[in-house]
Amino acid sequence: MILIHCPYCDEKRPEIEFANAGQAHIARPLDPSGQSDAEWETYLFIRANPRGRHHERWRHVHGCGRFFNAVRDTVTDKFETTYKAGEPRR
Amino acid sequence: MSEALIRQEPVSETPFVSEGIRISLAPPMQRHALRARNAEDLERLLKVKIPTKVGTSQGGILCLGPDEWYLRSAMGKAIPTGEGLPLAVTDVSDRSICLIVEGQRASEILMAGCPLDLDQFAVGRATRTIYETVEIIVMRDAEDRFHVEVWRSFAAWLWMAMTTAARH
Repeated sequence: MILIHCPYCDEKRPEIEFANAGQAHIARPLDPSGQSDAEWETYLFIRANPRGRHHERWRHVHGCGRFFNAVRDTVTDKFETTYKAGEPRR
Repeated sequence: MSEALIRQEPVSETPFVSEGIRISLAPPMQRHALRARNAEDLERLLKVKIPTKVGTSQGGILCLGPDEWYLRSAMGKAIPTGEGLPLAVTDVSDRSICLIVEGQRASEILMAGCPLDLDQFAVGRATRTIYETVEIIVMRDAEDRFHVEVWRSFAAWLWMAMTTAARH
């Protein structure tokens, strides 16, 4: 079982307590009505699908309940680091 | 059309006892979900010390998350609602029941379904976690005694799973 470090609980916890919540660092446009359809589509649906290092949101759903960000390698499934939501991209 | 209100427990009120293990239903108690940005606001309201490290407990208050606490108290104890303050105190007494798992095999039986390493789980620690597919809150009350809080609707299944693990 993979152990994931939760930055809020500050300890490694079993993978089964967590839920993936998609790509991280996608900011909602400040003025949605000023967006073209193509821009809005990009914001809603277009996601990176890298082979290797990937920034993701995770939620410690069966724990502290908090969302945080993680850098995971999509090939090896290894977590490089995790950090609190709102902190700059690593 | 009045019907007497009778408390019906979802699990047996007779404890399960086997070698090195005893699983019993805790007596009814009050439970409150506490939410606040600042623990100091709750301390001022409840006039007790609030644990701030996630995963620990102090005086019946469990710190479940950075802004979330769980208060367990005796039936009938008055808990202020904190009206007007930037916090939320919600009575969730009947949402869950508490199972007391005690004996030398207590951690072994919990670890049959819970992925945490409970041998490294110090006395006084408390956290939300999972038992197979059921969400629980586990507290280590003493070296060989755990309290397991579980939602009522999941309780019958959890009782069956834990007593099955205990029989093996």
